[in-house]
Amino acid sequence: MIEVRRPLLEVCGIKIHFPSQQNKGEIVKAVDGVSLELRHSEILGLVGESGCGKSTLARSILNLVPPTAGTVYLNGESIQTMSRSELKKARPAIQMIFQDPHASLNPRMTVFKTLAEPMLAHKLAAKETVKQAVVELMEKVGLAPRFMQKYPHEFSGGQRQRIAIARALALKPRLIIADEPVSALDVSVQAQILNLLAKLCAEERLSMIFITHDLSVVRHIAQRVAVMYLGRVVEEGTTHDVLKNPQHPYTQALISAVPVPDPIEERNRQRIILHGDPPSPLNPPAGCSFHPRCPIAEAQCQQQEPKLGNFHDNHRASCLLLQKKFVE
Amino acid sequence: MPNTSESTYEVEQGQSLWKDAFRRLKKNKLALFGACFLIFLTGISLITPLIAPYEYDAPDYRLGASGPSAEHWFGTDLIGRDLFTRILYGGRISLMVGFVATAVSLLVGVLYGATAGFLGGRTDSVMMRIVDIMYALPFTIFVIILMVFLGRNIILLFLAIGAVEWLTMARIVRSQILSLKEKEFVEAAISMGLSRFQILTRHLIPNTLGPVIVYTTLTIPNVMLLEAFLSFLGLGVQPPMSSWGLLIHDGADSMLESPWLLIYPSIALSLTLFSLNFLGDGLRDALDPRVAKD
Amino acid sequence: MMSLLTVDNLATHFHTRAGIVRAVDGVSYSLEKGQTLGIVGESGSGKSVSCYSLLGLIPMPPGRIESGSAYFDGVDLLNASKDELRKIRGQRISMIFQDPMTALNPYMTIGAQLMEPLLLHRGLSKEAAAKRSIDMLEAVGIQDAEQRMNAHPHQFSGGMRQRVVIAMALITEPEILIADEPTTALDVTIQAQILELIKSLQEKNGMAVILITHDLGVIAGICDSVAVMYAGRLVEQATASSLFHSPRHPYTHALMKSLPSMNTDGKELYSIPGMPPDLTKPIEGCSFSARCEHAIEACRDDIHLHTIMLNHATACIRAQKGEL
Repeated sequence: MIEVRRPLLEVCGIKIHFPSQQNKGEIVKAVDGVSLELRHSEILGLVGESGCGKSTLARSILNLVPPTAGTVYLNGESIQTMSRSELKKARPAIQMIFQDPHASLNPRMTVFKTLAEPMLAHKLAAKETVKQAVVELMEKVGLAPRFMQKYPHEFSGGQRQRIAIARALALKPRLIIADEPVSALDVSVQAQILNLLAKLCAEERLSMIFITHDLSVVRHIAQRVAVMYLGRVVEEGTTHDVLKNPQHPYTQALISAVPVPDPIEERNRQRIILHGDPPSPLNPPAGCSFHPRCPIAEAQCQQQEPKLGNFHDNHRASCLLLQKKFVE
Repeated sequence: MPNTSESTYEVEQGQSLWKDAFRRLKKNKLALFGACFLIFLTGISLITPLIAPYEYDAPDYRLGASGPSAEHWFGTDLIGRDLFTRILYGGRISLMVGFVATAVSLLVGVLYGATAGFLGGRTDSVMMRIVDIMYALPFTIFVIILMVFLGRNIILLFLAIGAVEWLTMARIVRSQILSLKEKEFVEAAISMGLSRFQILTRHLIPNTLGPVIVYTTLTIPNVMLLEAFLSFLGLGVQPPMSSWGLLIHDGADSMLESPWLLIYPSIALSLTLFSLNFLGDGLRDALDPRVAKD
Repeated sequence: MMSLLTVDNLATHFHTRAGIVRAVDGVSYSLEKGQTLGIVGESGSGKSVSCYSLLGLIPMPPGRIESGSAYFDGVDLLNASKDELRKIRGQRISMIFQDPMTALNPYMTIGAQLMEPLLLHRGLSKEAAAKRSIDMLEAVGIQDAEQRMNAHPHQFSGGMRQRVVIAMALITEPEILIADEPTTALDVTIQAQILELIKSLQEKNGMAVILITHDLGVIAGICDSVAVMYAGRLVEQATASSLFHSPRHPYTHALMKSLPSMNTDGKELYSIPGMPPDLTKPIEGCSFSARCEHAIEACRDDIHLHTIMLNHATACIRAQKGEL
């Protein structure tokens, strides 16, 4: 008998709207109805450009930003309805790694203090045992333990990111949300950190939501991918399906925009260049939010909002023109 | 990165941002001068009763106002009191007012500002509106009213001055906290499940200390000037006690006949204010995170 | 035929408290009219400093140009007087940076900033300058250019700001455009637009471009020739096709291997072992040898850039001997 486990994380219809700071009276729809699932030991890539709401969505999963509508279920329990003490107990299960290695560590705390703090706060270690625990954490992420009394500014970007990863692992989470963890790093360091993350996820049997704008990175580390545009998921499926056979025009343009490091291929390939700037979440266009920049938009795209339809074997995309192709 | 599990290794000491800032401060000659002068002045103030050549309220009517001489280095005032002694004791009062009133403003300002900034939302708005209103109150009238109703009292002077200066401190701390709150290490602390108190004391306040320290050093001169002003108006320190403000007031009266009565206290006050400003500027440059070793 | 720009043995060092940082340590290259040269390297490679040195943008102290020359139309930029440099900088050689907000004055309108160099240096009338500015804005793809002249930078999005910066840089019709990571801070779809724009403007104006970047994909798209820098030195120089087809330096090779896009999914990415060298310590021989899997004893001897094939030079002695 196959036991169907409930997904580790279920994001159901999350909307995050907040009043605009600059244009009084208007609403910024940072996230506008996103539903996702994450299974145990699965890595989901969340891809999109600036303004698509991926970082805001991540923060709502951690309850750093409360959603305006929708619920997040962790192991079947709704995060939104938890009391303060229940939330505190649930927090260790989801940890986050941030993009900017400079800003994600307290500049006035040593590595030791940074790593010991969560373990002591949640009583995963006592004062006597915490030093050994810190040593183990540092070794796990490839940092020499003799650096534990140093301060963040004494490390390179890559090393700081390792400290951040160690901190995320300190509470033995089930799920890690990595928000553009390698975007601020040099190419050669990126490879090191990506390898480290992949290894840790496999060893510790972690799930991960890997947020990035870089499709090549997603191809390398994630099993499934969700593409976001202007607060909504426009395409979702296995990494292989979505990248090899993109259905949504935005995904196609996104893939096309990634420069290929091969001059012959790069100069001769057919490119889809989108016109205009990404519209702001302040004034999303009516109907399909992508239609003003879509190379194949038709009249109906201005009026009707497309839904995420199942194209083929859990590969979903939201496009009116594709809905005709969808398997009923 | 080497991934060795040696059980014996030499743990290397880190160099905190404070050490780095201190090193930079030492290079600033003006700031060093300011710091040395202040330490010297504080030292003298502490041992004034031991080193003052005369009593501060011992008149010598035979002398009257006389210029600098071997017995009276800075001369004497209208009723023959030794000016040097008066300046020493006056310095004590002025410095005390400076430090204590600033400490009061620091304590109240930091707590108030940190709370407003951290809690945010409506609480923050209300708290800052109160600050705005208090800013608008004319300080002098406020102090005069206090003095009139509660009598002239040096403690009251401290509190009155502190009550005014904390406003700016609160604003500074609040804006620091507001910008720090957005930083990712604070988000990390929240997602770790730390209590709000822990986040405030361990992550937020330590990172506001830079601007707070600088502003504190620059508040002291303000406070001293304020005290001088009040005393000049007759609202501050009462005779026979003196402060530099009072001495300058008295000196101004007899400026033409006995210029030394104005010159020496003014020099003392000016030197102190310069020192504080040099030190404050030096601290600000030393603690500037953009210049920090990164 | 003389090159448009000839840089010879440029060395820029920073005299800091921690020691002398040899940010650029003997770099030579030349740029022809209408050519696009890509300078690729990671942070600390010296790619940006080498170009800032050309335009006198290095703070001195602590920086100092220790040696070298950079001839542009008979003028040695490295030893030119402030006046000579000012006539060239912003007019005949323009530069754009990664963050458009560093080039844009938030308090001036876009129009005023565009017209400024024309009014000051070219002595154009206000009407002529305004017309030229509007034309320029349209050329960089900004719609409603005439109205936009009165807008302020914060009213534009990131991509549009970079377009405005490009307009400002090109309004004086420079002969060389130096672009320092112009698209790194932009979304990938906007990056594609901006690179297309630079390419088309270059073709129209016949200007040369030096493109500084860490992104090999960007290089592949628009650069004719490429110079790879590591720890302040040039390690390989070739035409783009030659470089990608057969990289002849272990660092270039390693860089290409560690890119996620060139790897098949699931396999561990190749990562270059070790760390970049400490630039405050003088490096004996090849700066990459400490991390190179092909290093031999001879790598500690003096290293020079040598041409090994047509339009392809490398500083690796083993590649020069044909061993790699």
